[in-house]
Amino acid sequence: MAEPYLRVDKLVKRFGPFTALGGVDLEVYPGEVHALLGDNGAGKSTLIKTLAGVHQPTEGQIYIEGKPVQFRSPRDASAAGIGTVYQDLALNQLMSVTRNFFMGREIKKSFGMLDLDTMNQIAHDEMLKIGIDFSDPTQAVGTMSGGQRQTLAIARAIYFGAKVLILDEPTSALGQKQQMGVLKTIKRVRQRGDIAIIFITHNEIHSRLVGDRFTFLALGKVIGAGDAEEITDKEMRRLMSGGAEMGDLEQELAEI
Amino acid sequence: MADRSESDRLAQETWLQRTVRRPEIGAFIVMIVIVIALAWASDGKAFNALGLKNNIQIIAQYGIIAIGAALLMIAGEFDLSIGSMIGFAGMSMAIMLKWGLPFGLGEATPLTAFAITLAMTLALGWMIGTIVVRSGLSSFIVTLAFLFFMRGVTEVSFRLINKSTQVSGLPDYKEESWVAWSFGGEVFGWFYDAWYWLGSYFVSIGIERGDQWFILGGNLNRRGTQWVEGFDARFAWFIALALVAYYVLSRTQLGNWIYATGDNKDAARANGVPTNKVKIGLFMFTAFCATIFAACQVYENNTSDAAKGNLMELFAIAIAVVGGTLMTGGFGTVLGVVFGAITVGLVANAVFFIPAIDGAWFRVFLGAILLAAVFANERIRKRITGGI
Repeated sequence: MAEPYLRVDKLVKRFGPFTALGGVDLEVYPGEVHALLGDNGAGKSTLIKTLAGVHQPTEGQIYIEGKPVQFRSPRDASAAGIGTVYQDLALNQLMSVTRNFFMGREIKKSFGMLDLDTMNQIAHDEMLKIGIDFSDPTQAVGTMSGGQRQTLAIARAIYFGAKVLILDEPTSALGQKQQMGVLKTIKRVRQRGDIAIIFITHNEIHSRLVGDRFTFLALGKVIGAGDAEEITDKEMRRLMSGGAEMGDLEQELAEI
Repeated sequence: MADRSESDRLAQETWLQRTVRRPEIGAFIVMIVIVIALAWASDGKAFNALGLKNNIQIIAQYGIIAIGAALLMIAGEFDLSIGSMIGFAGMSMAIMLKWGLPFGLGEATPLTAFAITLAMTLALGWMIGTIVVRSGLSSFIVTLAFLFFMRGVTEVSFRLINKSTQVSGLPDYKEESWVAWSFGGEVFGWFYDAWYWLGSYFVSIGIERGDQWFILGGNLNRRGTQWVEGFDARFAWFIALALVAYYVLSRTQLGNWIYATGDNKDAARANGVPTNKVKIGLFMFTAFCATIFAACQVYENNTSDAAKGNLMELFAIAIAVVGGTLMTGGFGTVLGVVFGAITVGLVANAVFFIPAIDGAWFRVFLGAILLAAVFANERIRKRITGGI
């Protein structure tokens, strides 16, 4: 196996007295989908926000291609090739697809004028590459479905140089059909082979469908990790419920 | 392909369908209705040579500040201090012209009075913007504070320096100073020259002065000489500001940032848009518009008083909304604001052309049209965001 593109070593993040992450290790390889699973409050959000440069780690180190890095801002992280697609997608509903695609990184001609033709073309082509033929990039994002918006945000992150794509629960709050659309998009991005994907989800079925490698978080710690062959379905269910045995849970439920 | 079939569901529209769905269409229709109704009710007098000049005077006046207010609203903030800023700027220029520059720097010229005033108003605009973005407080309350603060400063300064809340009888600077002329002079004289020529032609072919054709086609007074010489200079300022604002908003990177800031500030910031700078810059722009408004008043009439610009902030916001700007930000066009300014300006002036109606009907009309516009805008927003 090649060198991981991104490696996280014993990452600790404390907010005052509260320890959100208590020494997390993570390795992400190009061309792989790394599923990050865990219950609410397990520390998934804190972990990705630290990787995205929103939070600074209290202890531990992040390595990119083996070199230690420090992100002081989201700008640093995106310059290092970490593209985060948040749950709210950072899209503006009232603006057109193209204007969203290039938000903050517009292509300009002279006098600060936007090169809208080129921008429309690029937005269309980049979205087509990962599976949506969007005929009219001048329409407002508000008219798109949730799955299409997800694709727009992913295409944007890739176009602007993401080597690690962090997807924060991309399938939650979507209908069944659109969830499948997003999973297909993830597969297509994986096929390119040069992009590492961190896929955050609650959903074991989704993670099983696209994941190459799994990390389970509970209460700020890694409680299990491995690649797709190592982790059995039964093990997965146990880890998903925060490490409690399903049997225990059944018993507890029966007692109520 | 689930996603592909979904995008196919969006029908391709014809040019006409696109035009009808444009956000300015409501403001445009209302404007046309008002123009026709006013022309009919005033027997054409609202659009004769003098009527057009007077109407455009007030339209340009409203338009100048409404463009500033609309751009700021699109970026998601309000400025209630526009009216007080107008009063402050007018006071500052008039007092400097009458009593000389501050700190004993000698006599003021129209240029120095304007330049120093603009420096002060831009600094105030910067201060308001900085307080809003740094504190995270609602711009409504911060600018409300400045509404009172600056109106008070204006009155106090008048009394302290001038011993009266009014400066009048300043010399007419328009003859010798191009700065004063560019704010208070008359522009587009060729338009009225052509109109005069047309009127002379009507007389020569024997059309009566009372004839409808003559009223709209003749620019002749009773002695048969040219009646109106040109538009007020603020018309040129209004056109220039509208063109620049249109270009910036719809065609430039800054325009994209303004929309992005107003739509979803966090999303814009996550993508690297400097939202704070955009907002502070736009607060300075409204201060700039207010200063232009004040300069046109001062140099046209050579007077100023402490009540200038009163309530103008509310008219500016109302016009922006009538023009299709969303109260919540992120949406609006300069073209719509221009339509809104024409509509509101014409109605504000209607009483002069239709003496039978009570002038207070203007406010009744403005209130009604404002409410209608808010509902219409909300519908547009829902249509775009898919009913959320």
